[in-house]
Amino acid sequence: MPLHDVGYRGWHGPQRPGGAAGVIATTGIRLAWKSRWLRRVILFAWSPALVFAGGFFAFEQAIDEGAIGAGREVARRLDGFGLFGSLLAESLGGSLDDPDQARRTVWTRLLLAFMRAPQAVLLAVVVGLVAPRLIAGDLRAKAWLVYFTRPVSRIDYVLGKVGVLAAIVSLVTLVPALVLWLVGVLVSPSVWVAVATWDLPLRILAAAAAVTIPTVLLALAYSSLTAETRIAAFAWFATWVACWITHGALTGADLAAASRPAATVGPGGLADPDDPFEDGPPVVVRSPRGQRRLGWLARAAGIDGTVDRWAWLSPFHAQGVVQAWIFGIEKRFAAVLPSLVSLVAVAGASLVVLLLRVDAPARA
Amino acid sequence: MPAEEFPVSLPVADTPSVRLEGVTKRYGRRTVLERVSLDVPAGITGLVGPNGAGKSTLVRAILGLVRLAAGSVRVRGIDPAVDPRRVRRLTGVVPEDDAAVPGLSGVEMVQYAARLSGLPATEGLRRAHEVLDWCDAGQERYRAVETLSVGMRQKVAFAAAIVHDPAVVILDEPTNGLDPLERRAMLGRLVALARDHGKTILVSTHVLRDVQSICDRLVLLVRGRVRLAGSVTELTGGGGGDLRLRGTGSLEGLAARLAARGVPARPADDGTGVLVQAHDTAAVRAIWAEALAAGVSVDSLEPERRPLEEVFLAALAAADAEEPRHAPA
Repeated sequence: MPLHDVGYRGWHGPQRPGGAAGVIATTGIRLAWKSRWLRRVILFAWSPALVFAGGFFAFEQAIDEGAIGAGREVARRLDGFGLFGSLLAESLGGSLDDPDQARRTVWTRLLLAFMRAPQAVLLAVVVGLVAPRLIAGDLRAKAWLVYFTRPVSRIDYVLGKVGVLAAIVSLVTLVPALVLWLVGVLVSPSVWVAVATWDLPLRILAAAAAVTIPTVLLALAYSSLTAETRIAAFAWFATWVACWITHGALTGADLAAASRPAATVGPGGLADPDDPFEDGPPVVVRSPRGQRRLGWLARAAGIDGTVDRWAWLSPFHAQGVVQAWIFGIEKRFAAVLPSLVSLVAVAGASLVVLLLRVDAPARA
Repeated sequence: MPAEEFPVSLPVADTPSVRLEGVTKRYGRRTVLERVSLDVPAGITGLVGPNGAGKSTLVRAILGLVRLAAGSVRVRGIDPAVDPRRVRRLTGVVPEDDAAVPGLSGVEMVQYAARLSGLPATEGLRRAHEVLDWCDAGQERYRAVETLSVGMRQKVAFAAAIVHDPAVVILDEPTNGLDPLERRAMLGRLVALARDHGKTILVSTHVLRDVQSICDRLVLLVRGRVRLAGSVTELTGGGGGDLRLRGTGSLEGLAARLAARGVPARPADDGTGVLVQAHDTAAVRAIWAEALAAGVSVDSLEPERRPLEEVFLAALAAADAEEPRHAPA
């Protein structure tokens, strides 16, 4: 018997109701963080931020030296070096005589590109590593008994698990994007740039939420449907891949049709007299080479000024469209609506599944 | 552990801690609990029954985890269907299955349970250590729960159930997988909680020896119905005035002398003593006098009890006779 065994003693201290979601979230984050693989992936996920920080620095240097034209030339030379170079070239290619306007345009595009191209893909990997264990692991280890025999409601439980995943996802999307904005302010000529771009952190927050909420809920819904973490992980990645392929096939068919000499497209895709958001004169579709210039990721994100009509079919592409709208790059709400509805529907259905499933073993 | 090591004269409150009235629970067309009415007062109550009797569902009904088709449950006057959080703050549960969060150490698991029950983080950790000390958990508490031995996991689960000092403790097979020493220690802790701290303890178990040794009351559930409920003493016939005398010497001679003196007595079938019907003080005095005269050295004289297993099997047989086991639901 231990020397300090004082026998059983009652507890007369505070017992605060509520707060279980916070306890579940903090403990879950601590447990998830024990995974070496997760730490590696998150560390790797920050590496694109260094490249994009270089973009902010280059742009601010050009502004500072009054050499937007020179910067534009440099950017044109970068054209072809993947999304990043092409993006700068696109951004600086327009009317950028007003530095503040130029800054807003370039920063917005850089931030959106950052949140889309590298981070959204890495996010899928991070979620695939963490989410399956969160609920499927609990079902497997019968840990649900730990929760539902205590003053924990299923809403507390779901909020706690969402908190775990949202915190980890924000390390890949929200936090580095905010840091990029801060870097932009720090390398800009004046701290008043922070005031001039005050809305960008809010847009980053909203854009991160647009990715995080449906992604996290969908992944957790899969996790709640099985006690096998492998099956939950497979379902997660299979969904992304299947939606991606479906979207790619459909947009590929559109592009093939549009690349015929007589074909024209409007901002919303192929010209369609019944298209409700077709408000400008149709423009000739870009050549396949031009399409490749910004790449499929940029198209998906809406940062090349087009919204493909199948984006709503794929969570990844739908998120890109909605994020482009949040950042003010895509202004036609009607074009964004299908993607927005799709994401809301995915989030809503996932939430329903989660609430029905998480305490199902306790009720069985 | 012999029964006498755990006195069963525990305080019984007037108001039951847990009260079930006409509780019926159905899963589809299958009735799992049927008009179960039950009072569980302070002290230790054993809940026994064959597999599939509805014990786990009964526990879930007490915790408000299942929606009832009919009836009501009150835990210290609170309806778990209305305020399940409050009920679960008042109760601690040790599930039969290994239920733990993989990756946490034993002490972290208990602290986690404390925090989920509303204790602050630092106090939860202090309290976790205190309870684990009482459970004699030792340094193993710092190992991950999934690597612990069965006995240690049971200690952690028990500590997690009582860390918030609940008024009602529900245990499902608490001695499963424990060695005799650990089993004895676990039963001792239950008795201490009930006797010294006034807890209401409901033990669901198949080990009838445990029930007989520590429980004040017994509830037998068969196919969702309460078939037997009452104090263990009454159910095992301890209150009927029959005494068993154990000793060495001429036990048959003693039985004959007692019978000649008008005190009904006969040698026990198992040859370990004499069964005597002593309904008054004079009869007890006669036993001692005749034992002295017959040269019998008396080891013990205690109320005769039927083995609980016998009571259990008889009740099962009665239930079968009343409602054949394979009758359609």
